[in-house]
Amino acid sequence: MKSILYFAADSNGCGGGPAPTSPSNVQNPTIELHICMGLNACKGHDRFGTNACAGTGYCATAQAHNCHTMNNCRNQGGCGLFGDAEEQNFPGENNCAWQGSCAVPIQAERFGTEGPNQGKSVWMLARKRFEERMKKARRNVGKSPFECGPPTAWLSKMQGSAFGSCGSSGSPSCSFGYNDKAKSAQELCDKSKSK
Amino acid sequence: MHGKLLLSGKPKVTPENLGEAIQQAIEIEIATIPVYLYTYYTINRTPDQAALIKSITASLQKAKYKSLDIESKALEYATRIQVYANKAGAVIMSVAIEEMLHMSLSSNLKQALVGMPELTGKSPNSWPAYLPGHVPEFPISRAPYSKDTLKTFLKIESPTKIPENNLKVEKAIDYTTIGKFYEMIVKCIKDNKFSYNKKAPQLVPGRGYYANNNVDTLYYDKHHKPHFTNADDSGDLIHIVNDETALRAIKMICDQGEGHKAATPLNKDGSVNCKKPTAQDYDDKEHKELSHFEKFAQLYCELEELEFKFKEAGLSDPLSYFVYNTATNPMNADFPDVIKKVSKLLNAVYSYIFLMSEDCYRKDENTQYEIFMFGIHKSMIWILNNLCQAMTALNYIGPDGKAYVAAATFEEIQFSADSSPKSQVIAMFNEAADAYSSIAYLKDRIHDLPDVSIEPYLASPKRTSLFA
Repeated sequence: MKSILYFAADSNGCGGGPAPTSPSNVQNPTIELHICMGLNACKGHDRFGTNACAGTGYCATAQAHNCHTMNNCRNQGGCGLFGDAEEQNFPGENNCAWQGSCAVPIQAERFGTEGPNQGKSVWMLARKRFEERMKKARRNVGKSPFECGPPTAWLSKMQGSAFGSCGSSGSPSCSFGYNDKAKSAQELCDKSKSK
Repeated sequence: MHGKLLLSGKPKVTPENLGEAIQQAIEIEIATIPVYLYTYYTINRTPDQAALIKSITASLQKAKYKSLDIESKALEYATRIQVYANKAGAVIMSVAIEEMLHMSLSSNLKQALVGMPELTGKSPNSWPAYLPGHVPEFPISRAPYSKDTLKTFLKIESPTKIPENNLKVEKAIDYTTIGKFYEMIVKCIKDNKFSYNKKAPQLVPGRGYYANNNVDTLYYDKHHKPHFTNADDSGDLIHIVNDETALRAIKMICDQGEGHKAATPLNKDGSVNCKKPTAQDYDDKEHKELSHFEKFAQLYCELEELEFKFKEAGLSDPLSYFVYNTATNPMNADFPDVIKKVSKLLNAVYSYIFLMSEDCYRKDENTQYEIFMFGIHKSMIWILNNLCQAMTALNYIGPDGKAYVAAATFEEIQFSADSSPKSQVIAMFNEAADAYSSIAYLKDRIHDLPDVSIEPYLASPKRTSLFA
């Protein structure tokens, strides 16, 4: 049993999603660092540097990591799974290095474990807060490539073994044979929209 | 603490021995941590479904089930194992993190009323161990998950004196509850006027030190819906500055452990009451979180039912599908060289966590925050957890000649005064990673640990564990 879960690259049915184009934009020092798909404030500020406008980027510009307290710096930590309610209420808004509450990027199936977002989608909360920020900044926001955030299966395809998050209770994207993974993911998404 | 008397032989808590009493309370909480963690890491929380189905299918075929039924039955039984294994892990972890909370609350209490809590050098060092302050004693082992182990957990958390015809394990006889011990402290606080040190560092709420739930305290049901084993409002750190906060902290410890005054105890014959929990068995207002005692009672009853169902279907003991074959009370000395090196590192990290925890009561504000979040938290979630998991991949022949899966022994080591404890942890890591390269990826995390001095510990009078 491994505590770091490298999720299988099988599709969970959340939609294939277009493949991103290269080259990687991660090393560009002028871009804003953010933690996931659909959370970019500017054109060209996603992992690949090809997105046309705010909110349409494919993936995080912050360095991918697997767990709580492993982010490099301010606003570069993921969210959910570990940390108190305060941390989990503000995904990607940590003040300093090592203060993020979970892995980057945030898969669509990840839910909060503490506070008002318990059992609800972490990515949806991050996107909601991002849209509020853009509203204040008077910026139009485009659609995210995936409405509910990047599905586990898509991330596994994109990042291979580099994608994972910590914990011993198993992948949030899973079926024992009594549920459809895609439907479960959609239910989480729908439930999180109503908040 | 074989033979050692409660409060140096005095029958009650007085202002003169209050510090000693609270220190014993701290050590009661410390004693439970390796016990629960050991059992937690003997559980494979995510057993492979395909392997389970294959094994169960073979057993059902042998038991001559109709072939049409076998596929759905195998899936059903495999899923029951998957859900139960994950739930057992989640429940034990939910209790373990609350025991760490209780250790911190008791330490806050001591810091406010008496002075520095002692956390280093207090972990049991011989096994089976005995809860300090409980007369008469009963043995507690680091043991793999089983009904007998749950019986011991029920004794630890029992809301009432254990019946004479007790749980039919080992030699438990009489038992005074942990709640009764705390009651003596409460009486002393109520009967006397104490001044509280409000400036000395404590682990306080609002700094992100404590969360009721995390990914390890949840499990998934058969439809893969998450269930959280702790409630949001069941507990938190309390800054102890007066009688009200002191009494509230003690009440929280007792409610979480044993439930409320009228909580359902064991049956008179010592068996476990498997009826639906009552309102008194919960420790939170909304009745979302059961007391430790009731959580373990529920696990016990579910396991009993699972055993019955599996036996009826001609299947193996359900524990055989998800509990590692670990020894009871193994010691580092039992292991061959490679495992010994990994185990030694694990024990060093375990010991360093207590050293860092104690240092949090000497440091405040940002320094305390960094020690806690980047030292203790990171060590628990990342380093210790991964080393405990790594041990389950290693096998050895025990002193009894039987084959076992290795397990964390949680032996607290004494750091030498010759160099910093952190440098000693790094040296042990280097040795362990050379011997077993699968743990080499932990290098950065080990090097990131804060550098905590051992000098204050060495400068204090020589400590002995109540378990020595």
